[in-house]
Amino acid sequence: MYRRAVASSPEALEQRIDELRAAIRHAATAGDRARARELRAQLRAAESDWDSAVAALERQSAGAAAQQVSAAPAGGPLLPVREQVHQALTLVGVAAAPRLIVAVHDAFFSGPLIAARLTSLRRDEERSFRSAPYARAYYLTAALTADLLAPARGLLAVSTWPLERRVIGPLSPRVDYLTAAIAVASSVRRLPVTSADADRLLWRFAVNIPGAQPGGRRADPETVARAACAELDVHAAQDQAHRQAAAARARAQLDDAGQLFGSRLQAAGGAMSASS
Amino acid sequence: MSHTEARLDQMRGAVPPRPHNARTIAALTSNPGCVRRAILDAAGVDKPKLAAAAGFPAPFGQSRFAITRGNAFEAQVKANGCAELLRLLREQLGLPVPEVSYDDLEEVAASRSLQLRHSRTRQLLTRAAGSGTDAGTLFDHPLLALEVGGRLAYLEPDLIAFRLRGQFHVVEIKSFAAIDGQADSGKVAAAAIQSAVYVLALRQLLADVGGAGLVADEVFLICPENFSNQPMAARLDVRKELTVLRRQLSRLDFIAELVEAFPPGISFDLEADDAGVPRRPAAELADALAMLPARYMPECLASCEVCRFCRNEAQATTAALGRTVREDLGGVEYVDTALGLASGDLEPDLDTEDAAAILQTAARMRAESLGAAG
Amino acid sequence: MSTLTALARAQARAGGEAQPLALVRHLHIAERPLVFIPLALAGEANAPLAAMIGDEADSPRLLVVNQPRNRDERFAFAAELARVVVPYLEGFATQAEDVASGGGETRPRFRYAPQVFMPSRASIGFARLLGRSTRFRRTDGEYAVDAAVPVLGRWLSFLAERAEHPGSCLLVAATEVLSLHWASGQSGLEDLNLAALMAWIEPPGGLTCLQAAAAAEDPLQWPPAGPATDPGFDNEVLAPLIDAYGRADGAAALQRAEAALARALSAQLLPTWGLMWRSIALLRALPAGGHVGKRWDEDRAAFTSYVSYLRDGDGLPQPRRDGAVAAARRLSWLERAQASYAAQRAFDDPLAMAEFRMSGEAFAGRVVAAEPDRLDTSGRRRTLRPRITVETTDPLTVETGTELRAVTRLTQRATIVSVEPGGPGEPIRVVIELAGGMGRSLVAEPGTVPETGEWLCYCSLPLGYQPVTDFPATNETPWTHGGPPVPALPADEDAVEDWS
Repeated sequence: MYRRAVASSPEALEQRIDELRAAIRHAATAGDRARARELRAQLRAAESDWDSAVAALERQSAGAAAQQVSAAPAGGPLLPVREQVHQALTLVGVAAAPRLIVAVHDAFFSGPLIAARLTSLRRDEERSFRSAPYARAYYLTAALTADLLAPARGLLAVSTWPLERRVIGPLSPRVDYLTAAIAVASSVRRLPVTSADADRLLWRFAVNIPGAQPGGRRADPETVARAACAELDVHAAQDQAHRQAAAARARAQLDDAGQLFGSRLQAAGGAMSASS
Repeated sequence: MSHTEARLDQMRGAVPPRPHNARTIAALTSNPGCVRRAILDAAGVDKPKLAAAAGFPAPFGQSRFAITRGNAFEAQVKANGCAELLRLLREQLGLPVPEVSYDDLEEVAASRSLQLRHSRTRQLLTRAAGSGTDAGTLFDHPLLALEVGGRLAYLEPDLIAFRLRGQFHVVEIKSFAAIDGQADSGKVAAAAIQSAVYVLALRQLLADVGGAGLVADEVFLICPENFSNQPMAARLDVRKELTVLRRQLSRLDFIAELVEAFPPGISFDLEADDAGVPRRPAAELADALAMLPARYMPECLASCEVCRFCRNEAQATTAALGRTVREDLGGVEYVDTALGLASGDLEPDLDTEDAAAILQTAARMRAESLGAAG
Repeated sequence: MSTLTALARAQARAGGEAQPLALVRHLHIAERPLVFIPLALAGEANAPLAAMIGDEADSPRLLVVNQPRNRDERFAFAAELARVVVPYLEGFATQAEDVASGGGETRPRFRYAPQVFMPSRASIGFARLLGRSTRFRRTDGEYAVDAAVPVLGRWLSFLAERAEHPGSCLLVAATEVLSLHWASGQSGLEDLNLAALMAWIEPPGGLTCLQAAAAAEDPLQWPPAGPATDPGFDNEVLAPLIDAYGRADGAAALQRAEAALARALSAQLLPTWGLMWRSIALLRALPAGGHVGKRWDEDRAAFTSYVSYLRDGDGLPQPRRDGAVAAARRLSWLERAQASYAAQRAFDDPLAMAEFRMSGEAFAGRVVAAEPDRLDTSGRRRTLRPRITVETTDPLTVETGTELRAVTRLTQRATIVSVEPGGPGEPIRVVIELAGGMGRSLVAEPGTVPETGEWLCYCSLPLGYQPVTDFPATNETPWTHGGPPVPALPADEDAVEDWS
């Protein structure tokens, strides 16, 4: 066994690890025990080199992060839930469900965001708006279903967004997912230090977008963004058409509160009519 | 309302009938010969409550952890416009990339009214059946309906129907794991028959527009892979289950005849007093139950809430010891009869002659072998 | 299942107590068995919740997972379990003896082997899955687990695989082995409840079997033996305690929450613990069957083999799925092993033999005539071939020429010469020719030929070893069966499996 004189980057080491693994399988299948043993020893060395390389990188950026942390506002009370949700939604830029909101928040912002606190948020925000319209800088709103202009189940959006961004047509869940993937990828790229939560979030997107699949251990933001754009191209035009039509109808039929929080059916049975 | 329905309502008493779901409908296919169960199910009687009131509470319950896990897995698969499900469908079925349309039928404009949801479901699915490719791919929480024993049962599954190349497929999401490609066969069988119920219901819904043939015999089971939360998809061919179900459901139409056989006063009314205690004494309810012939076997202990009552009633029978035991005892109905034939104390008749001979040989051999120990 | 066992159940039902199905015990009972009772969290694939384990009835060890959904805690549990199980197992890998292995050669075999008792097949299934979920784990890298964990996994997988072999008793399911020896007065399904089955065999003092069996169905008196827990317990006790543990802040609160969980889970496990040791005692009280020692030898050989595989071989964990050749070989092996096990039990135990008497493959009766001096002069040399006539009322179906063995004269070959049915109600007369076991001369040594009046039981099942069917070597698996299997290496995907 020899020592490598030059420390390799984690990426190069990952490639070597993959190669060694393949070679071990070959040797084992061929029954060459001695060779397999020898290769395993090399694999262990490569894995330990990888650990050191990653640790070194983290130490480097820890210096930068330390400065970043001290520039942040002094620790005080946690942000209120609505602020935390607003932060996360602003990052992804699309209507999202609590699950995604919490995952985005955990990945990119400090302080815990407890999912349970989001359940009554929409109702509270609507009440607050109705009692004093436009009193606050922003409200967390519903997203409206394109067909009935009703609040879409489980989604939150931001009042300052244009109505087109706050309506959901049949293709919109997918379009929004891809848009969120692009936003998350670019946020990951801008992170000064790798964050396990952010990596995991990006990975989850990568797995579900064709062409974005990670080859190595981590998802690559460039690849994910490119793949998401490619699929977005397929749906975008039609989705936009649905949304524009729906937004136009909403402006025509609903009052301010309705455009933010959706319309509900008044009475059971009979024709469905929008109420305000 | 038909005469049968009126009688069933009267049997049940002044409470709304317990709604059927896919599981209870599927359960009709096991033990089809039990009249007691057929009538109680048809009348929509609250069986757990009845069993408890009659003095034999049911041993069933569901663990919070299982429920939570099931809900969490389902939510995960369906999150973000069914992102994970889309991946599986694209990878395994070649679902084309443009087909991502998602319709949520769990609420209609924030209302969960069953009628509304059902008519909206019907609207969207018939439109999808009729038109080309851009009329919807995924339909989440559709509300289906099925005629069961003369009553309309709303089926509120967590299924997603999806459309591919003109065919609708039922999708069932279950949280039991498939380890190395294999899952618990009992659970898979149960999922298959429940899915078959949905297939039937979906066909019935589309029948009005001549679209019954558009519903595939193949359903997709989504479950966690190995020990993780990653979903995987498996195809299930449910043609066999469909045949069995159709047969059982048609037999239920004979409920009317069964019901006629019973005295008009028979009732399972569980009306309770202010403390929630049923007014009618346990003995009376037990008597009413006893009027409906049952067909107890040990498998009932896993599937029917009245099982303990029936087991107690059947304690002298060989069936209570298990189907194979009963067969091995020559199909003789009572334990004492079998023992009597075996010892020679009972004279066999023409039907039991052969059984008696075998039983006597067996008894002799057991006695000899046990004696040999001494 | 057969008429005999069905009749025994009927007798048990009518008589209000269990009836014996065996006169001897058909498995070896180790001096120091390990009792292992796992509990799993509902709804998950294989999430351990707690376990009670130990090799002495007085000292159960309780292991608890405070947050069963937490991956790290699960593997910590596995590591702790490994620290109990692996030393127990490896503790038997010490004293070896040399045994003949054919061709004049010898090979070593450990004198003693471990024996693990679990409540039921479902518990064994849990152990198998636990083995599967731990044997591929890496001990380094991002998702590292304690080094003992994959070792535990390999052992559990080995034991669970042995438990599939008929007649093996390295890993035993209590309900299964009890049901082999006693018939209860309830159904086989109800027998899966260990407390209910034991109620029929040995009810707790003061209760009738029926009363005890009814009490056994009350989860508050007799918590289920697992791995599934009672849903009522889950909802009322466990869930709040787990929540409390999750909310606890500060060392004192944490300690309290832990203690509460341990108490609750201990209470769920202790009753089953007691039942397990009582069932071992019940079995131990029966005399061992004649072939039990031979089967235990095979178990010891398998144990020895696995120990040396782990020590000297690749140490590669068992593959996830059998390769095609391995699967076919295993199936053939299992069929032969099942037949051989049934035959051995029959020769060891009149009650087991009775099954074959009922099916006509064996018969018992009295010798009514004997020709001890008969010689066969047809060949070049004269040979001693006595004949006897046995009368039996058993429904025998074996034909002329069938080879038999008598239970009490195993070394003597017997062949059926003729079978004469008697009239209705009259016994059948079987003429049998004997060879061997009588000495070398043409005059039989005294006592080696059955005499008139002797009661004999003859059985046509072969006891001897059957040759292995020829299968292609593993690395020549035909492409039609998937080609040569790739050996199982721990893959990254196993290491990164995302637990819920």
